[in-house]
Amino acid sequence: MLFADGSVALVTGGSRGIGRAVALDLAREGAHVLVNYARSEQDAKELVSQISQAGGSATALHADVTDEASVRDMFRALRSEHGRLDVLVTSAGITRDRHLVAMSLSQFQETMDVNVQGTFLTCREAMRIMQHQRRGAIVTLSSASGLDGGFPGQTNYVASKGAIIAFTKALAYEAAPHGVRANVVAPGFVATDMTRVLPSQIRKQYESRIRLGRMARPEEIAGLVTFLASEKASYVTGEVLVANGGGLG
Amino acid sequence: MTLDEIRARAAARRDACAQIKKMIVTRLDIPIDPEWITDDQPLFGRGLELDSLDVLELYVAIEAEFGVALYDSDLAIFGSVSRLAETINPDLLPAAGS
Repeated sequence: MLFADGSVALVTGGSRGIGRAVALDLAREGAHVLVNYARSEQDAKELVSQISQAGGSATALHADVTDEASVRDMFRALRSEHGRLDVLVTSAGITRDRHLVAMSLSQFQETMDVNVQGTFLTCREAMRIMQHQRRGAIVTLSSASGLDGGFPGQTNYVASKGAIIAFTKALAYEAAPHGVRANVVAPGFVATDMTRVLPSQIRKQYESRIRLGRMARPEEIAGLVTFLASEKASYVTGEVLVANGGGLG
Repeated sequence: MTLDEIRARAAARRDACAQIKKMIVTRLDIPIDPEWITDDQPLFGRGLELDSLDVLELYVAIEAEFGVALYDSDLAIFGSVSRLAETINPDLLPAAGS
């Protein structure tokens, strides 16, 4: 097991997609996983049940990561229940794709609110616990598109994912003297609900160009998150781990 | 206020200040007896000579020990132990008209 007995990990957006795979992997490696959800309560509870049946330990925890009071309440409950936080994974994220000339301000703002503000609010509260502990690991989920510009219709999403990379690097340097590490995982195309809603033609077009010839499975990304969250990456901080199947050819 | 209420408030202030002094010395690794810090001694500058990085430590320590979350607070609250105690527990503030 990668995580010591009693370790506590919080995964935002943990009920679905990459977050779900991360929650499963962290639980498999011995962490008690707090599965944060905003709306997917049923999915979160099913995941907790699945983890428990597999011999792991998990709890569902509600919070809207865009809402400061909701995030504070979540962390208040976390402190009260567990008194510690060893790992934070910020996986909550959305897309609101639209070509720029047609994109509404709300589509832009909503994407920034969930992806960037959500990351900020959860990392801030986590750091208040981890800094006091003098230990902890934060892994933020960005996207390879945050580095290479993605594809048309994603100026808001790409901006948010680029911001997560910059934020996490700055956080890593601020957190280092306190024994806390922060790193980014930047996946390419991953087979989740988020990519399933892409127009079929676009999805196939891009999939055919990926050098490894396929999309990633969520568990392939989860393994990288678990690595960065664990002591196996004890000397890694401020880094961006890109997993995009070799990129587009 | 009755005499008993005044005594109770004074005791509460004394206890709060003692807890804060111990927190400061422990969290900031200052090698002095907490009792050497007086209630109204400046924590910055020519007093205890704390700096802005020390304030960051105090933010998290206050939340961990007292359950009070401070964000972007006016730095004047860190002016002295007494001032900090009143911020953490507003009941310690002098009653209006007293």
